[in-house]
Amino acid sequence: MDARLRRVNKEIADCKNDKTSNISLDLIDNSPFHLRGSFPGPEDTPYEGGHFEVDIVIPDSYPFQPVKMKFITKVYHPNVSSASGAICLDILKDAWSPVLTLKSTLISLQSLLCSPEPNDPQDAEVAKHYTTSKGSFDETARYWTQIYAGGPGTKEAKGSKGAKDEVAIAGLEKAHVDQFEALGFPRNKVIDVLRRLNYRGANVAQISEDRIVEELLKS
Amino acid sequence: MSSDYEFSDNEGDYYDSDEMMDFQNDDQDEDDMEMDDYNDDFKISTGSKRKSYEVDHTSLSQTSVEKSMKDDVDHICGILGVEPAAAALLLRHQGWNKELLIERYMDDPAKVLVDSGAAVQEPARDSTSIRTHSVDKFAAGPSSRRATRSSSKLLSSLTSPTRSSAQKYISSPTASASKSRKDAKSSEEPESFVCPICFDDSLELKQIALDCGHSACSGCWNAYTISKIRDEGEHCIRCMTEGCAIVAPDDFVHNILVSDAAPDSDTTENLVAWTRFQEILVRNFVSSNPKLKFCPYPGCTNTVSCPSAASKSVLTSMVPIVSCGAKGIPGSVKDKNAASSASSSGSSNSFYDKEHVFCFGCPIESDHRPVVCGVARLWLKKCEDDSETANWIKSNTKECSKCQSTIEKNGGCNHMTCKKCKYEFCWVCMGPWTEHGTAWYSCNRYDEKGGVEARDAQSRSRASLERYLHYYNRWANHEQSAKLSVELYAKTEKKMEDMQITSELTWIEVQFMKKAVEEVEKCRMTLKWTYAMAYYLARGNEKDLFEDNQRDLEKAVEDLSELLESPIETENIPMLRQKVTDKTVYVQKRNEIVLEDTATGFQDGRWRWNVSVDGFEEPLEEVRVD
Repeated sequence: MDARLRRVNKEIADCKNDKTSNISLDLIDNSPFHLRGSFPGPEDTPYEGGHFEVDIVIPDSYPFQPVKMKFITKVYHPNVSSASGAICLDILKDAWSPVLTLKSTLISLQSLLCSPEPNDPQDAEVAKHYTTSKGSFDETARYWTQIYAGGPGTKEAKGSKGAKDEVAIAGLEKAHVDQFEALGFPRNKVIDVLRRLNYRGANVAQISEDRIVEELLKS
Repeated sequence: MSSDYEFSDNEGDYYDSDEMMDFQNDDQDEDDMEMDDYNDDFKISTGSKRKSYEVDHTSLSQTSVEKSMKDDVDHICGILGVEPAAAALLLRHQGWNKELLIERYMDDPAKVLVDSGAAVQEPARDSTSIRTHSVDKFAAGPSSRRATRSSSKLLSSLTSPTRSSAQKYISSPTASASKSRKDAKSSEEPESFVCPICFDDSLELKQIALDCGHSACSGCWNAYTISKIRDEGEHCIRCMTEGCAIVAPDDFVHNILVSDAAPDSDTTENLVAWTRFQEILVRNFVSSNPKLKFCPYPGCTNTVSCPSAASKSVLTSMVPIVSCGAKGIPGSVKDKNAASSASSSGSSNSFYDKEHVFCFGCPIESDHRPVVCGVARLWLKKCEDDSETANWIKSNTKECSKCQSTIEKNGGCNHMTCKKCKYEFCWVCMGPWTEHGTAWYSCNRYDEKGGVEARDAQSRSRASLERYLHYYNRWANHEQSAKLSVELYAKTEKKMEDMQITSELTWIEVQFMKKAVEEVEKCRMTLKWTYAMAYYLARGNEKDLFEDNQRDLEKAVEDLSELLESPIETENIPMLRQKVTDKTVYVQKRNEIVLEDTATGFQDGRWRWNVSVDGFEEPLEEVRVD
């Protein structure tokens, strides 16, 4: 039997038998080389309670070249692209080793959620948010977990509305958005500009309102 | 492209070469002989003195570079007392800097060995116990010595030359005995081995491990090594286990791929990977030595050694154009054509086989004499950025005569209002719109005062663009001509055959045509770059003299080109031959003069630029003398 197929089958079987790690692997399109992995968000993090799915493509040269993984579930995390789900993790690139398995890689992803590396970001805007205001970042990450990964979320967010709150997704203060919307700019534009300028936490004092209005006029 | 004085120079270098210049190049010798047969007419001087625009260099084959690598490795073995395999890994890790390696090794041998992947990281507890123990007995010196010995012994058990392989079969009794650190697990029940990579557990599986003892089956090692070499071009093949930094020594790689390859692996693929691996090693060595440069031509594995151009600072006083001695591109269509035409018509293969000429000092893969690397790069960058844009701007836009903004008229009437400065003017005469009065269109008079002034301002701002395009067009023209040379070669070859048929001349005797074509092409390359140089040269007598030389060469080249293109009439052949031969020699001399003069100028620091160039003095404030 093909060594790659044997190895992948064994890995899938191992994952099924292992009940403790809570990691599961499912086939997509009935091919053992295109899988969907999933794991629970780690405890004591904003991702707790969420269920995260990862798209896994196994290349021809596996296990000698790394697997290709990206998040299917949207994640608010400095090392994960908020748009595409692309992951910045060394073992998925040059630090890959053939003894690593799908399970161990998924566990590594899980621990990446516990310990973000904002200095080596995949998503620069999210990383900026993380470094300027950890509290506000955690809130946004928790909100994303709630709406995209089925997490419990914050109480007030849960109670107030069922629809997705654009302001909370962008990790901004509702008061700030309202303030500029009142000047006559469209709401989505305001959100876009404020997010780009990282108008959060301590940065609010540093960015003048004129600057924001200027950006709003430019875009 | 090549002429015999270059070859004779190379032979001269052969004897006064330093440590790594024992090159052998049979091709070149053959060519040399071949050229001598019919080139006697064209010898300018028989003197073996090197021209001031040439640079001493030697071509090295892959084998001879491998030999100098081996010399370095042996040298390190002798000094540090380590095995050759370890020495190679140490050198590679330190970028082949022997002095640095020896210094670092003397400081902390164990650390250097571990960092370079030649030895296993000793467990921290062990090493401290050894150290404290030895400090009790010996002075500090011997303690570090001892660490050296223990690490190198570790490696020697694997890489000793008496054993055919560096790899270790855990199942064999000698190997398991030699390793005390090897934990009991694998030696207890060697028969129940499951490869941790492919999960194969068949009994005939061959188990292989590096020094670290992390074993896998030979098939996985084979696939892993090939993937590393082929897909990543990596010479540093680490153990497959995560976080293990041990690097596979060369003979281990050889065993995996060649002498002891897994039975079900593809032999050709293995050999290709092994060849590639050797090439990668040589490239790694060459790139870490500033005196060496790998030939950039596709498929060529030669290296050129040019010690006199090793530092960046000499690049302001010389243009290190070198040749690796090889010709043509293996496997290309042209090469095949050449082979077939060579069989039919003798020695015509050099028509298609370009000699591998490149610059040692910069990435330009052609002869950019006479201009130095810094200026050549500046020019290429400018052409890349500007030429197309400049041409478009020139033909489609005008500048606002007040603020000089570039304006494209994309419709509407001739009453223009500059978007930037709100100046209102007429697109046709460029004069202010106010002078047109209330009449709808009245710029039929040429000498309206405002209009004349506006056009003056416009022409001044266009002047720099015009100046650039002047040089660029001439540059591009020569480049284009050089590109068409393949066609010209074919045409000339046809003429040469005709000549043989219609006249009494033999094949050897009609070679003058081919030689002339080669010379023209060579001079066009020089001419091309003289325009880049002239563009950046500061005004003055030096530039005037340079441009005089340039003009003389250009005229001579155009004359000769015309002669070559002229139709052949049987009765005129002897005269044509005489003329072409004369002209060729003249052109060759003019080319020499241009190259010689610029090269001496660089050596004397005579040239001044009108822009700032790395390594040269800042340009003087230029006074415009219009």
